[in-house]
Amino acid sequence: MSQSTIRLSIAERQLKSGLTLLSVHNPGAQTFACVTSLDVRIADEDPALPGVANMVGECLDEGTSKHSALELATATENLGAMMEGNHRGGVVMCPATQQKKATKLLREMVLEPTFPAREVKRVQAEVMTEIQAEEDDPRTVAGRLFRKEIYGNHPLGRPMHGSVESVAAIKPKHLRDYHRTWFRPAKGYIAASGPFEHEDMLDRLERSFGSFRGKAPEKAPLPKLELAKTGCNVHKAMPREQVHLFLGHLGVRRTDPDFYKLSVMDHILGSGPGFTSRCSRKLRDEQGLCYSVSAGIAGSAGEEPGTFTAYIGTSAEHRQKALEGFLAEIDTIRKEPPSEAELQDVKDYLTGSFVFALERNSNLASFAIRARRFNLGFDFIEHYPDMIRSVTVEDIREVAEKHLHPDRLAIISAGAS
Amino acid sequence: MTIEMLPDVMLPDVDVVELDNGFRALLVERGPLPVVASVLWYQVGSRDEHTGETGLSHFLEHMMFKGTPEFGKGQIDVQTIKMGGSNNAFTDNDSTAYYFSMAADRWETALEIEASRMRGCLLDPAEFASEKSVVLEELAQGEDEPWRPLYQAVESMLYMTHPYHHPVIGYKEELERLEAADMRSYYERHYGPNRACLTVVGAIDKKRTKKRIKELFGGIPRAEERQVAIREPQPLGERRITMQTPHSVTRLCIGFPTCRMGERDDYALDLIAHDLGNSKNSRLYKRLVVKDQTVTDVSVMNETRQDPGGFFILAELHPGVSQEKVEKAIREEVLALTKDGVPERDMKRIRTQIESSFLFQNETALDLAMKLARFEAGTPNGYRTLADVLPTYESMSRKELRDTAAKYLQFDRSVVVWGVPTPQEPAKPARKKKAKKVAKKAPKKRAAKKVATKTKPVAKKKAVKKKKAGSKTK
Repeated sequence: MSQSTIRLSIAERQLKSGLTLLSVHNPGAQTFACVTSLDVRIADEDPALPGVANMVGECLDEGTSKHSALELATATENLGAMMEGNHRGGVVMCPATQQKKATKLLREMVLEPTFPAREVKRVQAEVMTEIQAEEDDPRTVAGRLFRKEIYGNHPLGRPMHGSVESVAAIKPKHLRDYHRTWFRPAKGYIAASGPFEHEDMLDRLERSFGSFRGKAPEKAPLPKLELAKTGCNVHKAMPREQVHLFLGHLGVRRTDPDFYKLSVMDHILGSGPGFTSRCSRKLRDEQGLCYSVSAGIAGSAGEEPGTFTAYIGTSAEHRQKALEGFLAEIDTIRKEPPSEAELQDVKDYLTGSFVFALERNSNLASFAIRARRFNLGFDFIEHYPDMIRSVTVEDIREVAEKHLHPDRLAIISAGAS
Repeated sequence: MTIEMLPDVMLPDVDVVELDNGFRALLVERGPLPVVASVLWYQVGSRDEHTGETGLSHFLEHMMFKGTPEFGKGQIDVQTIKMGGSNNAFTDNDSTAYYFSMAADRWETALEIEASRMRGCLLDPAEFASEKSVVLEELAQGEDEPWRPLYQAVESMLYMTHPYHHPVIGYKEELERLEAADMRSYYERHYGPNRACLTVVGAIDKKRTKKRIKELFGGIPRAEERQVAIREPQPLGERRITMQTPHSVTRLCIGFPTCRMGERDDYALDLIAHDLGNSKNSRLYKRLVVKDQTVTDVSVMNETRQDPGGFFILAELHPGVSQEKVEKAIREEVLALTKDGVPERDMKRIRTQIESSFLFQNETALDLAMKLARFEAGTPNGYRTLADVLPTYESMSRKELRDTAAKYLQFDRSVVVWGVPTPQEPAKPARKKKAKKVAKKAPKKRAAKKVATKTKPVAKKKAVKKKKAGSKTK
């Protein structure tokens, strides 16, 4: 059997409301997943209330027009299902035999939450404690400082959870306002994956979500993002065993024409499995500086530009050596094409391994949404190996030189000094 | 309500390969995706280590990626990516497991790698020294995690004489003193076909796979048989400590000694764990999170092992909440469980959840290969135990659960560990300088804290969740 034979069977149906229904036929599967992803961004929350979008997601399952939080949990657990909300909707996964009831519960959670005051207050306290706990974690602290440095006042620069102070100010009314305003069908997606025929699946989704109406307001344009003119070097001391070091800069969008070349470059530089990438081979395997190390630009690319991020968790005495190691690898990949053999290994990996993302129904449903949202085409998987195979060693050097900027690196660390 | 399970959900069609040297392999052919997963599960874990060599099992797991005569340094990973796959490994108290996920048209190299490193791992002294630094970094990383020191402290008191006492990753001082020769000796004693089982799941040709297994593993000599570990005596009373941590949130971990994996009480404890703490309907969630609002979340784990394991309750407190109030509430809820048992309506819901979780463990080839290996290595009846799992859960009565809870969840046999914030020096403000290139002076080395660690649970958003047991190489 060869990877070139893989074809996904995906069907779609557009509703008048602007909602797109997607069905992935996964014959033989014994499980089912349904994912809701509406056209709303964290950035659409009120800037005066950071964390409100996250709180909406956290509180979707805390009570609906039909069920209390406990009743909803009981109904879900009785199906053997797992369901959770997020700021764009939510996901339910269950045995295939329970897909009908599970889809109804997902609809109820996403479209009919009531945000009861008592439950919101409880979740609010939980989130505030979690934020406090995260402030203890040097990796999280460094990661947040890193994003703030790169994104500045852009909404992507603020923590998704908000701050203890901003979350404390959130009331149930704010959640209802956000939900009423932004949980609208236009440009949104509902994708289901399981062992069902497309027409049956799409009919069922339409019965559940057909009455979903309304239109969201025009989205405010986001501030334009630009690469920093210079780099910086920041360290926050925390009494810990390790220091967590991030370095990088603004990255690319998922729609960037160089995306696939950059994916290949990432695997050569710092995202390859095991000790195959240069950074893990040099910094971990050869020098023994760390347990965790990575570098890459394509993985964070989304509707907005992601980041080029190199990360290492190491002892304080190794910080400088690790930093110099990253800089050397960035310099090398920008100046010298990789060998044909090194490139071929990565191509073999990428063209062979992408199939593992298709084993779970939840991944298949998310893939269908991503394929539509980024106009990849449902036959993307059939073309993907050829796109990877067409990348040349000179392409790698060119995109590295074009997209990696060693003179503009934000270098941020937190932890041991 | 019970899920309609298809017949092969719990026990798929398994072909067993048995070799004269004690090696066993389980093969499952399944599609439709062209993927193959393999798991080589060794009956070697931290329980096999003696004083002075703690952490060797896990350290050896790292070294198993460092080359063999057939696959030189770096080649195991290079060959893996050429197979379009990935590999990894983990070590826990009882076992060390190595696994591959691969494209079906090039997967057999995985078998060659596993056969080659079963007895042929190079254990080069220079590589040993380099990898020791990596393991020490991994240990340091774990010490910074909020839950690991607590969990490890509970284990160290739950098992005072049994080797489960020491952390899987080992003690820093002992790791630092280890020599390559120590590892060589350990490897030769413990790694062999009689201490391993292989599971392969995916788009395979069974006949060809059986032939290759015989060719590759048939000539490998046996290792020592596993020694029986010393039996842990019954605890004479509650043991408790309060640890000061650099974290600002107060956390609690309670452990109770229990039974072996696969014993009937193990199944009862699974149901009890669900009733106590693993859903919004659980007793502790409803009491502590919803009613009292004293903790952000509470989690319960039934962690049975090849020797009697433990039952753990973990909670993360809201700031300012009384520790006594939380502990009292937990005791009351556990006591209520031991007196009243699990309500019948909840029994059905919990069984459904457990059955569903087994269904999801079949979603990927690797999940299924891992499940088969875990049961094959960890239970007396091997993988065939899977056929009895759901009927055993179904057969449990309320009375049996009540009796089992009363038997094990006794606070006068428990270990209670609190992790409380340490008053800290004011944090220095972040230092910032604009620079085109960084030229930062290497900072001085901090003295490492003597804190026992283990690759165990970590706190996650909205749940005090347990990470996969064991420690991963990559």
